[in-house]
Amino acid sequence: MTIILVLALGVFAGVMVGLLGIGGGIVLVPAMVHVLHMDQHLAQGTSLFILLPPIGLGALRQYWRAGNVDLRAGILCAVGMILGAYIGGKIAVPMSTQWLKALFGGFLMFSAVLLWNKAQPVVVAALPREERGA
Amino acid sequence: MNRRALLDSGVLFTGVIGGIASGLFGIGGGVIMVPILGLLLGFSQHRAQGTSLVALIPPTGILAVLGYGKAGYVSWQTGLLLIPGVFLGGIAGGALAKRIPAAKMRRIFAALMFLLGGYQIYNAFRG
Repeated sequence: MTIILVLALGVFAGVMVGLLGIGGGIVLVPAMVHVLHMDQHLAQGTSLFILLPPIGLGALRQYWRAGNVDLRAGILCAVGMILGAYIGGKIAVPMSTQWLKALFGGFLMFSAVLLWNKAQPVVVAALPREERGA
Repeated sequence: MNRRALLDSGVLFTGVIGGIASGLFGIGGGVIMVPILGLLLGFSQHRAQGTSLVALIPPTGILAVLGYGKAGYVSWQTGLLLIPGVFLGGIAGGALAKRIPAAKMRRIFAALMFLLGGYQIYNAFRG
């Protein structure tokens, strides 16, 4: 029963990611905390594990075709991220569950504002050339 | 420092900030990197999104996962069960987005996220 719930939750999270163009973690972490009743730390660690495979590859292909990828900047970002994620993990792991949960709540509200402002279609190919950026 | 080196260090710094958010909150990091690339470094919205996708291809969170794992904060089994659903669901969601008004859906979802965030803060300090 739990296995079916977990599988269904994965599909739901995936649909939200594809539909809304948002990151998986922002759906997965609250879903694991509130639906599967996992501890905040455990949900975040598990979400980071889920995000290890290159799930954005399909989406990247679409942006690449439309000429909307800066490869050099992307690689530099990735290098910075390896270091940053290590630091972020070092901060989060020793934190109390209470504070981490509250901090994540604040982050969720902040992300909600970003998402609200971004509420416009992301059909790249339909845009005229000059709007696709430098 | 020339312009190119300045931009490169800005991008590297963006990665570090995105990475910190990733490790701290258990997320991908695109949520943070896309606005920084766009607002501070002058990338267009689409180019910022495409570029952040490149940064999310390598397993950049590996050190963070190891850190969480060592503390017993990774449920490997749940994670493995969620991966296929997220992958297949993502494809279905992408196809669905072409048929329904996604902008409206985003607003609804943003409102839900905002409420859930507030509830998390309330819930954390209630007991």
